[in-house]
Amino acid sequence: MKTGIAVGLALRSLRRNKLRSFFMMLGVIIGIAALTALASVGEAARQETMRQFKRMIGTFDTLTVRPGANSTRGMPALNSVEPTLKFEDAPAVAAVAGVRRVARVQQAFDLDVIYRDRSATPGVFGVSTEWADIRGETIALGENITTEDEASLARVVVLGQDVRDSLFPGEDPLGKVVRIADVPFQVKGVFASRGAGPGGASLDNMVVIPVTTASKRLFNRDYLTNFVVQIDDPEQSDAIAERVRGALRERHRIVAPAPDDFNVGSPRATLQQITEVGTTLGKVMNGVAWIATLIGGVVIMALMLVGVSERRREIGVRRAVGATRGDIRAQFLVEAAVISGVGGLLGIVLGAGGATLAALLQKLPPAYVWGTIGLSLVMSCAVGLVFGLLPAWRASQVDPVEALRG
Amino acid sequence: MIETRQLSRIYQRGDGTPVTALRDITLTIADNEFVVVRGASGSGKSSLLNIVGCLDTPTSGQYLLAGEDVSGYSEDQRSRVRSRRIGFVFQSFNLLPRTTAVENVEVPALYSDGGVDRKRALALLERVGLAARANHFVSELSGGEQQRVAIARALMNGPPLLLADEPTGNLDSTVGDSIMELLTELHGEGRTIVLVTHDEHVASYAHREIVIRDGVVASDRPQDQARRRA
Repeated sequence: MKTGIAVGLALRSLRRNKLRSFFMMLGVIIGIAALTALASVGEAARQETMRQFKRMIGTFDTLTVRPGANSTRGMPALNSVEPTLKFEDAPAVAAVAGVRRVARVQQAFDLDVIYRDRSATPGVFGVSTEWADIRGETIALGENITTEDEASLARVVVLGQDVRDSLFPGEDPLGKVVRIADVPFQVKGVFASRGAGPGGASLDNMVVIPVTTASKRLFNRDYLTNFVVQIDDPEQSDAIAERVRGALRERHRIVAPAPDDFNVGSPRATLQQITEVGTTLGKVMNGVAWIATLIGGVVIMALMLVGVSERRREIGVRRAVGATRGDIRAQFLVEAAVISGVGGLLGIVLGAGGATLAALLQKLPPAYVWGTIGLSLVMSCAVGLVFGLLPAWRASQVDPVEALRG
Repeated sequence: MIETRQLSRIYQRGDGTPVTALRDITLTIADNEFVVVRGASGSGKSSLLNIVGCLDTPTSGQYLLAGEDVSGYSEDQRSRVRSRRIGFVFQSFNLLPRTTAVENVEVPALYSDGGVDRKRALALLERVGLAARANHFVSELSGGEQQRVAIARALMNGPPLLLADEPTGNLDSTVGDSIMELLTELHGEGRTIVLVTHDEHVASYAHREIVIRDGVVASDRPQDQARRRA
């Protein structure tokens, strides 16, 4: 008997016993729906994290150099870092082959910014002019900081949208003077909004001043919280990082085996860390979904075994008119595979539908993991084939003489 | 068409004691004969029919079907033989439930080399007078109609031999007669028919009567012309 005919028979049998077929499929439907939904929701979240991350750093063709031997998570503040990364290190890093430019950064997160009776506590970023360019900041109002500002230690500030909104509601901020930790700065411009970064925190809650001004007039520190290093080729990221490391060790006169007093990180690696590792909960739920699918297989096996004894007469007739044991075995095996395969399809539709709904409710673009969906479909058919083996064998062993008696 | 030589069938009972159902049956049924096999229940006629129908194998002796010795055939080989050479008609019709008439007729074709041929199935339904009912479900058909569908199914692979086991047993006498007339027509078209029945009247359609008693052929004679109906 050809497989096509067996599939036709199976579909026919499925249509004839809709309710029973549905119950046979239920376990597989639930299991596969859960697998699909988990994968899709996870992927949507992962993509959103990537977008947030991309929004925060602007571009992936960068390296980050921070003071201290150990890389720290999150944003370091100037008052908590080791004083090992100096302004004078910047030209040495910029001279490394593959490095395009270096932005120097001093940042703090605990300073009050006050305008008249209003205040905010945004991130205060003292940066060299490359910084805004590397991040792809755009100016919504006024102007950005210039190299002249940097050279003249100008007390000028560019506001993030959040700060503008809280200090200057319904008011033109340009030319106004705000006090950052009691030092007056003239508002020169406002950045365009960047939206949310990783974890959903706003990227607009910041003010930007020239790094030279920050160093000499605000913080009184001659070291930096980090360099943002733009490189020519992101593919060469590791090699360039190694060269930057060599250059800095030389400048800092570090001799083996002494460890680095700085660390070089790549946003790509950080992103991978953030997005690659699934949560434990997700893994447990994934495991539960697989178990549900397997239980679905057991249900199919049990109901098909019942079906075999109910269909003894049918089997007898088929044998009498020429079906071999193999034909009967194939029929029942294909029937099991079709039932769980159709269950898998329904599960995928249900799971993907649920994930889409969840994504839309969170106002995220939905994501579908086609690899997982394909695997689910293959697995659901395989579950039917495996759990159909015993019923199919039983069916093939039905003695037509016995089955047709009476 | 059918030739048996010292055919015996011995069953093992549950406790291991052997029961002889058929003992040294030797008989020949020629092509295009219309034979009735009769016997009380437990006489061994069902065992004989199972072997003749290639559903069972003899314990000893030989069975030649259309000149082919099938006595030692495996399950699969017997399936092939049934598919090509034998059409079964049962007392309880044995149609597949929740399936249309024409789909039932097609079933044997699933297991033949020819593959499914809807046109042929429809033609056969027309042959048994059920063209209009082709797409009706089995449950919507009367007993007589169901048996006609079963007969069309038996003809699907064009077998030369029809085995009919109490084909009218579940039908009232007028309907039974019409079924017997159909079988007689099919005999007239050249098929060999082996009929099993208790019913004197139904038996009277056959041309030869074989009586089985205690596993042996008790009598084997041509049907009296006077008793014969057809």
